[in-house]
Amino acid sequence: MSHPPNVSHLSTERIAALSDESPTATELTHLAACPECARERAVYQNLLELASAESTRLGVPLTQWERLAPALATDGVIDTGRALPTLARKRRMSGPWLQAAAAVLLIGGGMMAGRYTAGATVLPPALSPNRVASLDSVPRFRSIEEARAAQAQSQLTFQTATAFLAQQDTTNGLSETPAAIRTRLAALDRVRDVVGEALNDAPYDPVINGYYLTTVGQREATLRQLNTALPAGMRLTSY
Amino acid sequence: MTNPADMDHEPLIIRRALDGDEGALRALWTRHAPHIDMVVRRLVGGDADLAADIAQEVWIQIFRALPSYRGDSQFGTWAHRIAVNRTLNALRKTRRLANLETEVREDSASIEPDHDRSFLAQSIEEAAAKLSPGARAVFMLHDVEGFTHEEIAHELGITAGGSKSQLFKARAKLRKLLAHLIDVKDIGISGKGLQHVTSTERVAPVY
Repeated sequence: MSHPPNVSHLSTERIAALSDESPTATELTHLAACPECARERAVYQNLLELASAESTRLGVPLTQWERLAPALATDGVIDTGRALPTLARKRRMSGPWLQAAAAVLLIGGGMMAGRYTAGATVLPPALSPNRVASLDSVPRFRSIEEARAAQAQSQLTFQTATAFLAQQDTTNGLSETPAAIRTRLAALDRVRDVVGEALNDAPYDPVINGYYLTTVGQREATLRQLNTALPAGMRLTSY
Repeated sequence: MTNPADMDHEPLIIRRALDGDEGALRALWTRHAPHIDMVVRRLVGGDADLAADIAQEVWIQIFRALPSYRGDSQFGTWAHRIAVNRTLNALRKTRRLANLETEVREDSASIEPDHDRSFLAQSIEEAAAKLSPGARAVFMLHDVEGFTHEEIAHELGITAGGSKSQLFKARAKLRKLLAHLIDVKDIGISGKGLQHVTSTERVAPVY
């Protein structure tokens, strides 16, 4: 189609503006008759769609939790005194169902920790196995939120207990040799890699997130345990 | 951005995060970093190291400000706004946005010199990296992040008219850089309106 006589093309910037502004009546008449300007308008519309799609594009995070966490701990955002019963933790543990859930998990945690401790326990009296054993039922949750809260709290409690044992419990010094701990550390690294890879594919999956955080927590605890198990003055830098 | 199913228990995670629970803080970061960090990356442009430093600062600010989160909007939306503010502030500190007002006044300054005129970008992000910081900020805020010109004017300390001017210039530059992706092959004009055939299919979000 030929260009209409006596009508100049719309300016580049004006066509760019027409992506989100309405054309005047004169411009509309021109666009209806001028394929060049109409094509340009369509091109800018494509650009806008491309830009709009960009807003939902996700990328590999620029940040790393291993870098963020120390800064947040320094700022006091992360509660670094979590091994002790802080007011915040008491508040979270206030519900009876949550206490029961944590207690049940602590039994499991204690049993697992027992592999390290050969029977010793560091559970506070209020949450000792004897007290837990008197509970007559497994906790029943009233909502998904409650169950998830218990799950998360239990995971954290187990990790904290494991870390505490790794640093404080020396009763198993003979059975837990540095070589055995290194073997565990290497295994945890492999698990972390696999689960971390899955996390890249499904970053929102709560199960994978849970496994990843548990693995990372266990790895850190094992590293601390290995440092404790090594001869005095020797610190682990690699294994 | 976020799996809707996960949003159900996000308020709980936020409550735990407010208590200093590292697992909850990490869960928020894990869930939202792919989007928030992209916002930073887009606004900063091609400097990956600077973007990483700013993203780190952005997340610290998000978590510092968490006690002020009232739940009026989704956490992701709230964090997004902080990410934009902090990134623009950081860019000002590095003087990358220092000349924005000058750029707006001087038409020729809106686009950085591009010596390779044959350069074709493979993505919006890559093409926008060729814009001046000011033009990139305006384009990203308006066309990608959905800010109004008034909001952009407020964020950048310019006028709404200046924002529009920058935007249209930025689009014109991007139109050239992304020609192979957005050009229209053919167009037919009927008596009732325009019908065009594009060279691209509608772009789907990339997850």
